[in-house]
Amino acid sequence: MARCKRKRLILLVLLFTALMSQGLQADDSGLILSAEASRKIRKGLNAGFEVEFRSRNDFRTAERVSLGASVSYKLLPWLKASGGYNLLIENNREEITYNDDLSYNNWRPSYWGLRHRFNVSLTASYKVRRVEFSLRERWQYTYRPEKMIDNFDFDEAEWEDHKVRGKGKNVLRSRLQAEWDIPRCKFDPFASVEFHHSKHLDKTRFIVGVDHTIKKTHDFKLYYRYQLTGSHSSDPNIHMLGLGYTYKF
Amino acid sequence: MESKMKKIYFGLVVLALGLVLSSCEKDDTDFSDIIAEYQVEPAEVELDFSALSEIPDVPVTDENDSAYNDYVENSPWNKVINIDLNGENAVITGTVPGVMVQTDGAHVTVVNMSGPVKFVVSGQTSNGSLKIYGDKRFQILLNGAEITNPNGAAINNQGSKSLYVVVADGTVNRLQDGANYVMVDEEDQKSALFSEGQIIFSGHGELAVNAVGRAGIRSDDYIRIRPGVKIYVNSTALDGIRANDGIIIDGGVINVETTGDGAKGLRSEGPMTVNGGRVTAISYGDTRITTEDEIIDTTACAALACDTLLTVTNGTLRLRATGDGGKGLNAKQNVDFKGGALVAVAEGTKKIKKPKGVKIDGNFSISGGYFYSYSRRSDPMEVEGTTSVATGYKTYEKKAKVLLIEY
Repeated sequence: MARCKRKRLILLVLLFTALMSQGLQADDSGLILSAEASRKIRKGLNAGFEVEFRSRNDFRTAERVSLGASVSYKLLPWLKASGGYNLLIENNREEITYNDDLSYNNWRPSYWGLRHRFNVSLTASYKVRRVEFSLRERWQYTYRPEKMIDNFDFDEAEWEDHKVRGKGKNVLRSRLQAEWDIPRCKFDPFASVEFHHSKHLDKTRFIVGVDHTIKKTHDFKLYYRYQLTGSHSSDPNIHMLGLGYTYKF
Repeated sequence: MESKMKKIYFGLVVLALGLVLSSCEKDDTDFSDIIAEYQVEPAEVELDFSALSEIPDVPVTDENDSAYNDYVENSPWNKVINIDLNGENAVITGTVPGVMVQTDGAHVTVVNMSGPVKFVVSGQTSNGSLKIYGDKRFQILLNGAEITNPNGAAINNQGSKSLYVVVADGTVNRLQDGANYVMVDEEDQKSALFSEGQIIFSGHGELAVNAVGRAGIRSDDYIRIRPGVKIYVNSTALDGIRANDGIIIDGGVINVETTGDGAKGLRSEGPMTVNGGRVTAISYGDTRITTEDEIIDTTACAALACDTLLTVTNGTLRLRATGDGGKGLNAKQNVDFKGGALVAVAEGTKKIKKPKGVKIDGNFSISGGYFYSYSRRSDPMEVEGTTSVATGYKTYEKKAKVLLIEY
């Protein structure tokens, strides 16, 4: 059993290192660190509270801190419904625009702003031998409140106040996941692919990782996530190392 | 086993926290140098009435020289008529055969059929004028005169020969037009001080022109300004100083302010030459928009506009435009900068027209002097033709907002 753990850990680290080294030159990389407390309220009903931190710019820049609360309910043995709210405190990337002659037009530096996110999900699961497949469909609505920020107008050669208008965005997220339950091994590897759709395909996420539970109370997740950004966004693709901890009580 | 796992997780958590703590760097592009370059403040251009130490010019003595007649010293001035303005009236003293002088209150009309005649004008009137007919050159010696004409030009020369405006040493003279001009058939009247012929300014006194109806000083021929004279023009309507056939500045202290949309501080439709003196021109107006036959036309302001060749050999040009699309210098043809100093600043917006410190539609050549151009909201200088910078310069800096060439 000890060999099983070591092998998988080594494999995971090697996979992460290989992917990171390939993509680092063109893509960004960062960290996702999360902690969650989850409580079983009654049979099939769970509630949780989560904090999360994300970084970008090759781990050098904080991107997001979020606080969230969620509930889930098992409607059927194979079907789970859930809903949640997240308060996102986000470091929005800088934005540079250019004139027709390619000279600078405007520079809006990065800024911290709030976002409110609500989601509802339905997750269907199906087990084939020791592999559990699940399909999660999540509708997510994110509202960005209006905010005044600084903007440098190169044409005017001056800093000016720029109003970022409040707006909402609907996204449908579809995730297909497979999780292996390996006999006599406390590490459960998993892999998933997720598509984010709004008006276009915004992003696609590929995740591989392992899950390790200690005494049914402490659950650790270590994973690698590669996020491909859709052609309508100027954000780079990003490699992310994720570490999650859940305390179940 | 669990102890080992705890150690691994502890290590991962420490690593993760380390990464969290180290993620405090910004990932913005470093624009600090570029912004500092963009936000550079321009050279100061304000009206400057201080005295200017000038070497007096030497009158041309060769009668065949085309400039011979520009020198008041080259004509005899023994025929003199004094015009003393006294509020509502004008007192005329002196007679010259062939010269007829009529007065209507303080409005004086002269018909000069004689040779060179000197009119010595003094006194003050708030409802007067001086109009001269006759194709003979003549001199107006402003000897402490203050003339306001509510219905037109304060001085109006309808003759096509030289008008020598000599500003008597140590005197302060003021001319002002009215908001509404009363026109006479087949007569032009384009400014507070208007002449069909050339105007040559000289002397060591001060002349202030306040134009509220039309331009400040205008000639349908050319204008020459000689060392020693101080001229200040404030025009709220049209151009400050304008000449159809050219402007020659040999010296003097010239300050011009215009506030009208599309107005020019100085405008030369013919060749312009600056050989000395200190010109400060500030244009505060925005782009003028006119519609004729459903065609929209826009005209930007400029502190100095020259429609043909501009040559600078000496002297100082300090030009500033603050309105939308305003230019410090707007040259329609070539500019040949051989010496002297030019400081051109454009601070206006670019809603309709692009503001430029210097805009040259022809070629630009520089071989000496100090040349500075600044545009707050666009490139500091635009040359549509070729640019020729002679070697030997001390400084040649082209930044986002400033161009500086110094020899």
